[in-house]
Amino acid sequence: MKKTLLVLSIFVLILITSLVKNSTKNIEDEIFLVKENIRLLRAELGDVLLEYNYLSSPEKLIQYQSQYFENDLIQMDITNIKKITEINDKLIITNFIKKLENNE
Amino acid sequence: MNEDDNKNIILEEYENEFSYKKSKSNLNIQFNRVAFIFFIFFIISLIYSIQLLHLGSLKKNIKEKIQVSNTKNYRADIIDTNGNYLVKTIRTIDIGINPLQVIDKKHLSLMLNYIFPKKMKEIQKRLNSNKFFYLEKNINQSKYEEVMLLGDKSISSNESLIRLYPQKNLFSHIIGQIDDDNNGISGIEKSFDKELKKISEPLQLTVDTDIQFLIRKELLRYQEIFRSKGSAAILMNVNNGAILSMVSLPDFNLNKRETITDVNYINRVTKGTYELGSVFKTFTIASGINEGLIEPDTEFLDLKKTISCGKNHHIGEYDDKMPSELTVEQILIKSGNIGSVKIARKIGIEKHKSFLKSIGILDKIDFDIEEVGKPQSIDWHEGCKLETISFGHGITTTILQLAKGYSIITNGGYYIKPTLIKKNLNKNYKRKKILKNDVSKKMNHILRKIVSTKEGTAREGNVKGYQVGGKTGTAEQVTNKEYSNTKINTFASIFPMENPKYAFIVMLESPKTNSEYIYHYRDGSPPLKGTPFNTAGWTSVEVAGKIIEKIGPILATKYIEN
Repeated sequence: MKKTLLVLSIFVLILITSLVKNSTKNIEDEIFLVKENIRLLRAELGDVLLEYNYLSSPEKLIQYQSQYFENDLIQMDITNIKKITEINDKLIITNFIKKLENNE
Repeated sequence: MNEDDNKNIILEEYENEFSYKKSKSNLNIQFNRVAFIFFIFFIISLIYSIQLLHLGSLKKNIKEKIQVSNTKNYRADIIDTNGNYLVKTIRTIDIGINPLQVIDKKHLSLMLNYIFPKKMKEIQKRLNSNKFFYLEKNINQSKYEEVMLLGDKSISSNESLIRLYPQKNLFSHIIGQIDDDNNGISGIEKSFDKELKKISEPLQLTVDTDIQFLIRKELLRYQEIFRSKGSAAILMNVNNGAILSMVSLPDFNLNKRETITDVNYINRVTKGTYELGSVFKTFTIASGINEGLIEPDTEFLDLKKTISCGKNHHIGEYDDKMPSELTVEQILIKSGNIGSVKIARKIGIEKHKSFLKSIGILDKIDFDIEEVGKPQSIDWHEGCKLETISFGHGITTTILQLAKGYSIITNGGYYIKPTLIKKNLNKNYKRKKILKNDVSKKMNHILRKIVSTKEGTAREGNVKGYQVGGKTGTAEQVTNKEYSNTKINTFASIFPMENPKYAFIVMLESPKTNSEYIYHYRDGSPPLKGTPFNTAGWTSVEVAGKIIEKIGPILATKYIEN
C-alpha cells in the first residue's frame, strides 16, 4: 500500500510539475507579448511627445502668438493677481502677493 | 537417540532455508528498488538544480554582455523639470554596399536606379571603386524595405543612433555633445556618459525650458544693445541649489554637431573665472557680521578718500563724493571701497579666508558637468591682498560659485550644493548650518535697500511685486595680466527678500554704452536716453530687471510652495 502511494505521489508530482511548467510557459508568452506591445507604445509615445514638445516649445508659442493673437494677450501685473482659497465651503479671495507688499 | 538426532536436523534445515535467509533477501530487493528510484530522482533533481543555478549565474553575465553590445546603440533621453524633452534618441538605419560581394553589378545598378534615381551616377562610380560605401544614411522605412527586398548579399544594414535636440541652442552648454561612437564629449553627456548608457528611464534635470527661453531671449537682446563680447545668467533655488536656468552666450545649435574650438564659446557660468568687483563686498560684510565684529549700524568715522597699503599700492573710492562717515549698511549700499577695506582689516586674513572657503568661493567647485573653472590661487600675505579682496579685486571665481555664495548668505546660512540633476534634490536631507543665526536676516535687509533706495546702486532692478535685493559689481577686465578698459558688469540678485527663494546673477563681459537706448525708470521719473556710465547699475541691473519682470509670474505661480 505504502509503495503504491509513494509511486502514485511521485507520478502526481511529475504531472503537476509539467502542468505548472506548461501554464507558466503560456504566461511567459503573454508577458512577452505585453512587453513587446508596451515597448512599441512607448516608442510611439516618445515620438508623439517629442512632436508635442517641439510644437509647444516657447520659441514656437512666441511665433504663434505673433502670427495669430498678438493683441489678444496682455502681461498681467502680479499685484493684480488674486488667490482664491476654499475654507469650509467659503471662497476667500486674497491678493496673490499681499504678504510681500505689506512687509515692504 | 537416533530419532532425536533426525528431528534436530530437520529443525535446523527449516530455520536455515526458510525463516531467516529467504525472508531477509526478499526484503533487501524491495528496499533497493525504492532506494534506486529515489536515487535516480535525486540525481535528476540535482542535475536540474545545478543547471538552474548555473543558468542563473550565467544570466547576469548574459545581461551584461547584452548591455555592452547595446551601449553602442542606446543612450537615455534627457528631460527638463516638467518632463519636456531636451534630448531624444532616435534609432536610424544606414545602408551600405560592399562592391566586392556584388555578383552582377549591372543588374544591381539597374535595380538601385529605381530606388535612388538621383544618386545613380555616384553609386555607379563607387560600385567600381571596390571599397565599402554607405548607400544612404538614416534611410526611411519604405526605401529600406525596397533595398532589402533586392536580396543582394553585398547590401548590409547598420543600426545607429541620432540625438535630437528639440530646443536647439537653449541648453547647449548644459547638455554638451557626443561623438560618432556614442561617447559624451562635453556637458551632461560627458559627465553622465555611463549612466545614460545604462538607465532605462530618461535623466531628469532641474532646468525649466520656459524660464531658460525667456532668460536667453532677453540676454540675447541686451547682448546686441550693449554690444557685449559675451554674457551669462544663472537662476538658482537658494534653499536646495536646484538650477532652474543657466545661460551662457554665445551658444551653439547642438543639432549641427559642429566642432567648437573658439574660446568665446566657453561656458561663462561654470568655466570662466572672473574678477567680479564689488559683489564681493557682500561677503566682506557678511563675514564681519558672522564673526560678531560688526553690526549693520556700526559706524566708521573719518574714512579717507584714498589709503595706501603694501609698498606702493593706493586704494581709492570709485565715487569722489563718498561721505567720510558711514555705517556698515551705508558702506554696502553706496559700495564704498575704503569702508570695505576697514572691515576686512578688522576681520583679519585667516577668518576672512576661512569664511570665503566655507561658502565655496575659493576652491574649484564640485559640479555635475566637468567644464568647471578653477579660481586663481591667492597668496594672502602678498602686498595688500586682504584689502583688495574686500572689494573684489585680486580674487577670481565663477558665476556659479558667486550664486552659491549669495544663496548661503541669504538662505539662513545653510550650506547648499548647486545641482542640475533632479534626483539629487533630497527633500528629507538635513541641511547643515554654516553661518550664525542672524547673518542672513541682517544681510537681506541691506541687500534689499541697495535696490529699493535712491542711494542704492541697483534701482533699476526694483521690479514691482518681487522684492528684489542684490549687489552690483563693476570690475576692470584683466587681459594679459593687466587691467584693461573693458569691464565685467555683474548684478547678483536675490528675490523675494522677505523669504528668499531665488538667486539670479547676470554678468555682461565687456559691454559698451548705448547712446540710443531709453531707460524707463521704475520710480516714475522721466525716461533717460543713452547709457550714462558703463557700470553694472546701468547695464546688468537693467537686464536683470527686464528678465525678472518676464520670469517672475512663472516663478510666482508655477513654483509656489503650499
